[in-house]
Amino acid sequence: MDDAERQLFGQAVRRATETHTGAALDTALAELGWLDALEADPHTAVAVLFDAQGAANVTSSALGQVLRAALGLATGQSAVLLPPLGQWDPPARVEAGLCVNGLGLADLAGADTITVVAEAELGQLAVTVSPRTLHLRTVRGMDPSLGPLVVAGEVPDAADGSTLAPGAWAAAVDHARIALAYELVGASGALLELARDHALERVQFGRPVASFQAVRHRLAETYVAIEGARALTDAAAAQPSTEMAAMAKAVAGRAARQAARHCQQVLAGIGFTTEHPLHHYVKRVLVLDELFGSSRVITRDLGRRLSAGGTLEPPITL
Amino acid sequence: MDLEAFRAGLAEWLARHHDELAPTHEGAGTLDQQVAQLRKVKRLAYDAGWMRWGWPERVGGLGGSTLLRAHLGEVLTGADLVEPGSYSMTEVLAPTMIDYARPELAAEMVPRLLRGDETWCQGFSEPGTGSNLAGLSCRATRTDQGWQVTGQKVWTSFAQYAQRCILLTRTGSLESAHRGITALFVDMDSPGITVRPIEMMNGAREFCEVFFDEVAVPSDRTLGAQGQGWAVAMDLLPFERSTALWHRGAFLDLRLRRLLDAAPPETLDPMALGETVQRLATLRARSRATQHRMAAGERLGPETSVDKLLLSEAEQSLFDLAQGALSAEMLAGDEPVDDRWRAEYLYSRAATIYGGSVEIQRNIVARRLLELGDER
Repeated sequence: MDDAERQLFGQAVRRATETHTGAALDTALAELGWLDALEADPHTAVAVLFDAQGAANVTSSALGQVLRAALGLATGQSAVLLPPLGQWDPPARVEAGLCVNGLGLADLAGADTITVVAEAELGQLAVTVSPRTLHLRTVRGMDPSLGPLVVAGEVPDAADGSTLAPGAWAAAVDHARIALAYELVGASGALLELARDHALERVQFGRPVASFQAVRHRLAETYVAIEGARALTDAAAAQPSTEMAAMAKAVAGRAARQAARHCQQVLAGIGFTTEHPLHHYVKRVLVLDELFGSSRVITRDLGRRLSAGGTLEPPITL
Repeated sequence: MDLEAFRAGLAEWLARHHDELAPTHEGAGTLDQQVAQLRKVKRLAYDAGWMRWGWPERVGGLGGSTLLRAHLGEVLTGADLVEPGSYSMTEVLAPTMIDYARPELAAEMVPRLLRGDETWCQGFSEPGTGSNLAGLSCRATRTDQGWQVTGQKVWTSFAQYAQRCILLTRTGSLESAHRGITALFVDMDSPGITVRPIEMMNGAREFCEVFFDEVAVPSDRTLGAQGQGWAVAMDLLPFERSTALWHRGAFLDLRLRRLLDAAPPETLDPMALGETVQRLATLRARSRATQHRMAAGERLGPETSVDKLLLSEAEQSLFDLAQGALSAEMLAGDEPVDDRWRAEYLYSRAATIYGGSVEIQRNIVARRLLELGDER
């Protein structure tokens, strides 16, 4: 896409996320050509949609589509089972049959079929499974609006599975992490905007609370964390590698948690109520951080690997 | 000359001239040794052409993208051939001369800076004026020949080595604040100038007091117009907060690699190490984007405060990690390598102070980027 096309595309996607959520958003995205963009210009498609999705606090099947595209599967069909929170290995193993333990989001609830990636003796498989053969349990958890489902079970016959190319799941994890990093950046931006708006309106001691340096510096630190995360995620999206995707996800997750903390503080009492949208974002970023590995675990694993003699990835160049 | 060709050609030249370019001192060296090393490297790089790419032809450059000079800086600091702070002075001061000096003056002087024939310094802060730059009081009064300058500057880096000074003076009333400031290009060998290096806690005398006692400065050494000094400063400071940081990022990456080699087993806390690596990568990613924006002709402004804040965090994170892992060496060692870690750790304590303190940077973010209105 050239700059003009990218701008129009961005506007259309943002409009869609501001108007719809769930299945309705999926329909709107398909209509404006998001699935085509995912194939033709995946960097733009992912950056634009996931930032907008995070900012609007809506849901879609887009993460599953990103996984499908990275796995070499046709997009637009079948929901994809995610690993349990905090993990990133395939959510199933082939032993006697197909042993499944994963996480579904809202898009999985009404799906006709589920794609389950499984670790098998000779490699990894993508198995198409009917939801009826698995046990799906809706949980509320921290963020019920994500529609989380714990999905488990044993399917005796794993015949309907295609072998994935070596490294395909690992690459899919990288792409999922980049998408989630953008979503975290988008949510962080929305948190900051909520706090900023409040600080400018709320008057105490005869002046807007935005005029107090303590408040200004909290928001400034949040801004810096978000801009840093955005730059790193852009760099990872431009040249995806496992290390860069992991770093982007971790940095975006940490920035989002920082944003949640600082913006909660600035929004004070009113932000703590359910009448104010802040709590939706605070809860959402916690779950997004844990998907495909939290900032804590990714960061610690990076440090462990390096201090055990692992090599540093070459630095970002011009 | 595109970036790829420059990259390849420079790498080959560096390999061929490795011995000539290498420092002759061990460890970080003294300030005298660092300055001599910098001049040598600049001269060799200028004469071979590398130093001239990315600068306009009218000031001794060979034209081409500013990415070329960013890459040169990255490579020279990353190869530990130059110390990033003094190297980056060129990036900070040359653009100011190019934009604000008379064309003939810029054409005469900038090549000397690029080639390392001259060192320049920046006279901004004063004992009574640090963060509040608009309050500066070093006075320049009009004379028949131009200006007479009386006053004092402080924290002037490398003034004891400098032939020239880009000096901010007050030409308006004290109440005129930022509107009554004029920038001058002063010869450091002018009668009436006294330089006194200050010893800092990292052992180096990098920063100086500079005293001006009725110093004569010709009119044609005015940078920009009378009263335009604030604009000169506001244009210069973003370079301190951007292009200079690209080089510093490369230096931090180098030191991180050295730390990983040098740290005894089990001394690096995994969480802190992971965070440090991520902070450096974040700085690099952001700084890279800034270099590209500059190369595309965009004007750098308050958004560079983000880069500076990311640098401050990254640098202190790295040297905190180093202090923990190399504690014995840093606290009780006297080898050149220990001296270097110690000096760098101590210098990193100033990363949140120099180039505009983090408090000032956050103020800029709050007012200019977040548009939070006036602070009261």
